[in-house]
Amino acid sequence: MSTLPAPPAPADPAFASEATVVVDGASVWFGPNVALNEVSCSFGPGVTGLLGPNGAGKTTLMRTICGMLPLNVGTVRVGGLDPRVQREAQRALALVPEEDASPGAISARQLVRYVAALHGVRDRGAPERALTTVDLVDVADRQVGGFSKGMRQRTRVAAALVSDPTILVLDEPLNGADPVQRVALIELFNRLGDEGRTVIVSSHVLHEVERLARRQIVLVRGRLAAAGDHHAIRSAIADRPRQVLVRSSDPRRLAAALVGVEAVSGVGVDGGDVIVSSLRATDLAHALPGLARQADIRLLEVRPLDDSLESAFRELVR
Amino acid sequence: MSAPAAERALPGPFVAAFVYTLRVCVPPKRAALLALPCVGALLFGLLARTVPEPTAAFRFNAIAGALFGLILPLACLVVGDAVLGAEVRAGTFGLTWLSPVRLSTIVLARWSAGWLIAAGALVPAMALSALIAGVPEAVGPIAIATLAGTAAYLALFVFIGAAFKRAAWWSLAIVLLGERLLGGVLPGIAQFSPQWLATMVYAGLGPSAGELERAGMPTGAAAVGRLALLTVVFLLLAVWRIRRLRLAGTVE
Repeated sequence: MSTLPAPPAPADPAFASEATVVVDGASVWFGPNVALNEVSCSFGPGVTGLLGPNGAGKTTLMRTICGMLPLNVGTVRVGGLDPRVQREAQRALALVPEEDASPGAISARQLVRYVAALHGVRDRGAPERALTTVDLVDVADRQVGGFSKGMRQRTRVAAALVSDPTILVLDEPLNGADPVQRVALIELFNRLGDEGRTVIVSSHVLHEVERLARRQIVLVRGRLAAAGDHHAIRSAIADRPRQVLVRSSDPRRLAAALVGVEAVSGVGVDGGDVIVSSLRATDLAHALPGLARQADIRLLEVRPLDDSLESAFRELVR
Repeated sequence: MSAPAAERALPGPFVAAFVYTLRVCVPPKRAALLALPCVGALLFGLLARTVPEPTAAFRFNAIAGALFGLILPLACLVVGDAVLGAEVRAGTFGLTWLSPVRLSTIVLARWSAGWLIAAGALVPAMALSALIAGVPEAVGPIAIATLAGTAAYLALFVFIGAAFKRAAWWSLAIVLLGERLLGGVLPGIAQFSPQWLATMVYAGLGPSAGELERAGMPTGAAAVGRLALLTVVFLLLAVWRIRRLRLAGTVE
């Protein structure tokens, strides 16, 4: 009797099926501070969100992908090339950096034309199209130093687009943009992803990344914490252990009733408040109203004690 | 009639990097800073007229040390730091780095633009200084010495900009402590010092400037050759160092 081949292991959501950017065991440190810690993942066509709190290592990862920072350990390949050493890799790449750094004494048109010239762009209409895409063509002869933060950001986006890159790395690209510009930029990035370009977008705002990217990679304290579509990330965050404060008409009786609930891992009473620890906050949320009704207790307030996104991210790597 | 900017053909990478450097590296504040040593050169020319020496050429020799030891390096420092170090500090160098252009092309374009600016400001100032001092025959030699000196200094400061975070301070320390102080007493250091070698160029070519010569150092055309060699070495070092640049932005 022949044995059946083992079923294929489920694909690791940290890795894209048609990878154009491959990060393998990447570690970067600045003196005693570890910015990236053995991160392995890959990016392919479409928009991928890079999510994490401030200081998680998103910018470091993006800069290593662009070859601007050397790795202490590991490798990064862009289209099979090392972007740090093989300058040819830069032909496919473009970065919109997070920091608001633009040469001030130059017009937006001059800046975009400069980047186009460095990339060997032959199409002399490309700079105008890039400026039109970000709606800057009317003010393109004004000096970048006199622009608002949002306009400077759009100038950098135009400079990134002018070389028609196949891999676009956008570090917090919506910073400084007003709501109308945000919508336009999100549409633009989604369109670029739909065209088959690899678009990597970082943000520390979960709902912003959800609008941008179907696939997300979460970094926390330099480590890869989670990966997958936004439902997977949401549920990973929702299922973390968390503390919930419950204010009710009879805290002591409610605490006693909660002890028997499967989703509850600990109960404490603090004055008039019941502090509930739960590994499955979603299940607790479903069970709590029924339990209170059965015990004839009025619920006055239910709120999580540690619901900041940052604490959620932290739990993912605990 | 020239075509509007939007329709003009895009230049090649070297020309683009050269023109960009000319545009951005000397903003108004830096231009004012660059004007200071140039005005200083003219004042030294006036000062030379008061020196108690028998001829104008000897009087000019008396201030040549200050022209090459102070005016030349300070003016080059203002431009040289802007060419690379200031851009790395400001985080704008990434724009240039993130391109398929060879790093040697970037270094060469930035150095040549910086050299053009520094020489364009300093050569006329030094020449005017000689004229004010009443030594018109020194105009040619001092122009050659300044051209060769600015080339080497710009290359040195481009290298320092790629090598050190606090490039301006390192540059000042190298010029004032290394070259001026140590180079004044240690001939071994002076052999590789742009300011001493520029002085030697003038010592070999200038009128009655033999008294400026230092034992064991090349003078005239030989000093120009040494400066050209130094320029090449500093540029090669800059290319080597720029490959190792960590463009961390605000994350480091």
